[in-house]
Amino acid sequence: MRRLIQTLALMLVALHAQAFDLHELSTQMAKPAVVRGPFVQEKHLRALPMPLTSQGNFVLARDFGLLWLLKTPLQQDYRISPKGIARRDALGWQMLPERNAGSEQNRLFFAVLQGDTSALERDFELQLSGDSQHWQLALTPRSLLLKQIFTQIRISGGPYVERIELSETQGDSTVLRMPQSTSAMTLTDAERKDFVQ
Amino acid sequence: MFNERQLPRLFLLVLLAVVALAAWQWHGPSPLSANLMELVPGGAPDALEQQAEQRMQEPLNRELLVLVGHEDKQQAIVLAQSLASKWQASGLFEKVQWNLQADLPALREQLLQGRLSMLGNADREQLVSHPDDFIQQRLRSLFDPFAGFSLVASQDDWLGLTARIQNSQPHHGSVQLDIGSGALLAEADGKHWVLLRARTLGDAFDMTLPLKVDDLLSAARTQAATANGQLLAASGLLYAANGQRQASREIAWVGGGATVGILLLLLLAFRRWRVLLAFVPVLVGMLFGTTACIALFGHLHVMTLVLGSSLIGVAVDYPLHYLSKAWSLRPWRSWPALRITLPGLSLSLATSCIGYLALAATPFPALTQIAVFSAAGLVGAYLTAVCLLPALLKGVDLQPARWPLALAQRLVNLRQTLLARVASPWLLGLLLAFCAGGLWQLTVKNDIRQWVGAPPRLLEEAQAVARITGYQPTSQFFLVQGADAQQLLAREEALDARLDALVSMNKLQGYLGLSQLLNTPAEQQQLRDALGRLPEHWQPLLALGVPQAALRAELDHLQALPDQSIDQALEGPISEPWRPLWLGANPHGVAAMVSLQGLTNSTLLQVVAQDLPGVKLVDRLGALNQVFAATQVSAAELKLLSCVLIVLLLVLPFGLRGALRIVALPLLAALCSLASLGWLGQPLTLFSLFGLLLVTAISVDYAILMRERIGGTAVSLLGTLLAAATTWLSFGLLAVSSTPAVSNFGLSVSLGLGFSFLLAPWAGSHVKEAQA
Repeated sequence: MRRLIQTLALMLVALHAQAFDLHELSTQMAKPAVVRGPFVQEKHLRALPMPLTSQGNFVLARDFGLLWLLKTPLQQDYRISPKGIARRDALGWQMLPERNAGSEQNRLFFAVLQGDTSALERDFELQLSGDSQHWQLALTPRSLLLKQIFTQIRISGGPYVERIELSETQGDSTVLRMPQSTSAMTLTDAERKDFVQ
Repeated sequence: MFNERQLPRLFLLVLLAVVALAAWQWHGPSPLSANLMELVPGGAPDALEQQAEQRMQEPLNRELLVLVGHEDKQQAIVLAQSLASKWQASGLFEKVQWNLQADLPALREQLLQGRLSMLGNADREQLVSHPDDFIQQRLRSLFDPFAGFSLVASQDDWLGLTARIQNSQPHHGSVQLDIGSGALLAEADGKHWVLLRARTLGDAFDMTLPLKVDDLLSAARTQAATANGQLLAASGLLYAANGQRQASREIAWVGGGATVGILLLLLLAFRRWRVLLAFVPVLVGMLFGTTACIALFGHLHVMTLVLGSSLIGVAVDYPLHYLSKAWSLRPWRSWPALRITLPGLSLSLATSCIGYLALAATPFPALTQIAVFSAAGLVGAYLTAVCLLPALLKGVDLQPARWPLALAQRLVNLRQTLLARVASPWLLGLLLAFCAGGLWQLTVKNDIRQWVGAPPRLLEEAQAVARITGYQPTSQFFLVQGADAQQLLAREEALDARLDALVSMNKLQGYLGLSQLLNTPAEQQQLRDALGRLPEHWQPLLALGVPQAALRAELDHLQALPDQSIDQALEGPISEPWRPLWLGANPHGVAAMVSLQGLTNSTLLQVVAQDLPGVKLVDRLGALNQVFAATQVSAAELKLLSCVLIVLLLVLPFGLRGALRIVALPLLAALCSLASLGWLGQPLTLFSLFGLLLVTAISVDYAILMRERIGGTAVSLLGTLLAAATTWLSFGLLAVSSTPAVSNFGLSVSLGLGFSFLLAPWAGSHVKEAQA
């Protein structure tokens, strides 16, 4: 399962919660056309004393998809769009072959993107707490298959998603932090080019 | 010679015994069979190939592939789920599966144990030849959030071999796992399709199972339709069900049509209700045929019944022989009429049996059955006509209608007029010209598909299922043999290289072979050696903070992994698709199959297997079609042989010249039928040839009738006309069958009968002067 797609799907599910409810969260998240900012990814492996840390920038465009530009410790650009996942090499964007669950997850993500929330609510139990400025959303897998992979996924944030934590059943976990996101009405020309290519 | 009082009683005793035998045969499970493969030559020359074929056939005959479609994905899943539980409860299925219940711990275990044995070729190549690249890729995958999830935690597999194995598994088809429900989903034509697989407890050749499955499917279709869903299904079972329904429909039509037609003809010609008793020999004949077949073969194929129902028209000829004497014999009495016609009747039985039994000598079990059925049926009908029927008709004073005789007389006159203008040799010349012209245009066609009259709806659905799922299994496969696992896998790899070339040229969609699952022992050793050199290259991993001790421990563990045998490799859950391919050990070594998907051109496969040792292409359908072609030649030989036999038989009563003449006419009739097929643009198939083989045997009878001319030319011609008409009523109806093979048979017999009738009068023409 592609963790990030999952994560993104969750970010968008964040769009649907209570008191401050799922619906309000969804409205709040769906507002900006473009969200961008830096990210820090920490992979906590049970056997390693220190997490594997990587950094870069992301661009989430409501109508196009996601650019995930890894800068350190190695440089690698990824793109997720309705067409699938692509990776940039010397020759330009290369589509990765769709494999098993991955592309289905991808579709799930875009279903959510288009407001089809029933898809995620079917697979996860959603629990929202906090208010619109400080909210936490916990996702617990419903299906046996998903339970064998994730124990829980936790998302928190304010105007934008700030932190995502995926806890894997085997004990590893991944934390994604996006502390300084900003929104915009449109993509830059360079970003647009990356999406349409 | 026989006592007219005791004979009927004696025969009734025999009949009673046969009825008892039949009752015993049918008291248990139905001895009817619908297995098409039982009808074609056994084919496979050796036991191994036979085992391989059975293995490949089995899923076709037991598995049902259903796509449950709905515009809404969730609805499709719900529908599939309810369908699956309903079917599971039906008791017809061993397993009904709509979702994947992956046993992840078992998957992990298999991947970890198979790190050396299952690593793909490209990955092995990289690890051996470019270890720096290998480490760099591993590094990248550790940071790649989109690399796909690995089932195995990083600390259990620092080198990432399990993820590489997962990614290199061949992935056929366009079915995707829905991670939430575990359903296998495909999207096409604006619908979401859930794949449901059901495996029956019995196979397609159980007579009742296919019908039950078909009914269950129909009910499911209705249920799906009410929920705005749609079902698509593909299975050998559905073809079997269709074949059975079609066969019983056709038996009803051909049998019923022939019966009604013949009864009407009898009534019209003889104008006495009791003459309908002439149908008793037909019924007894069918009973004898069925009983003999089951006694000899243990079962009776439905196709035998379809073709066998045409026996009705031949069996009724025996009573007609002496009934038709009512036009000349005044007053007509049953026993005396029988007495004059008995020699002709017996000869007719003998020649027909010779003709039918010639069919039995072909390598086709189907024809053997039909031959036995028909020969036994004819004997039954003959015995009834000779022993019982005269007693039943005793005291009947036949007052036949005059018009048939008048018609026959007109025909005789017409012929005389014709012969007065054009002499026989000229007519013969014209006929031969007609034959030459027809034969010139005759084409030959042989295809096993002629045996199956599958309705387009079934084919379309099967094609839709193949298109949506991407599963397009082909009937051809490769059989690979080796002295041991090492040689077997190495040979498969040589084959894979050629198949990969076909895949890259889009001639083949994919293939499945053990070598994709398992490396040879030599390759496993190569990996151990390469791993031993890896510490020189793994600095980047240490730089990330991976403890050297952990890497070292992993390396030691990997190098200590024992060679995996094929049996071990096939144990885990990943190996499920490969399991049927393994044929295990035999006295010559070990053997396995390589199956193919989505083949566009089967001739390419012949080239692929060329000069690869231990690799053999098994193409059952192709081989069968060749057998068909070869059988045509042997059928023609049999035909000539049966003619020689008939001539020998006829030499006694008719002399050599007479015998030759009697046999030449049916042969000429057969030739004319062949030519007509050519003129009609109909291909010559094995079945039309068999039809002609049969028609010769039947029409010898007409020539004999016309030769003997008991009661005059017109009366004999009328007898011939009646016999031909009844026979045509039953065989002609076969021509409407939706199974190409059966209708082909019917057409050629119909044509042959027509020509035989036309030519029959020439059987007696040279004696005419002497008697006239």
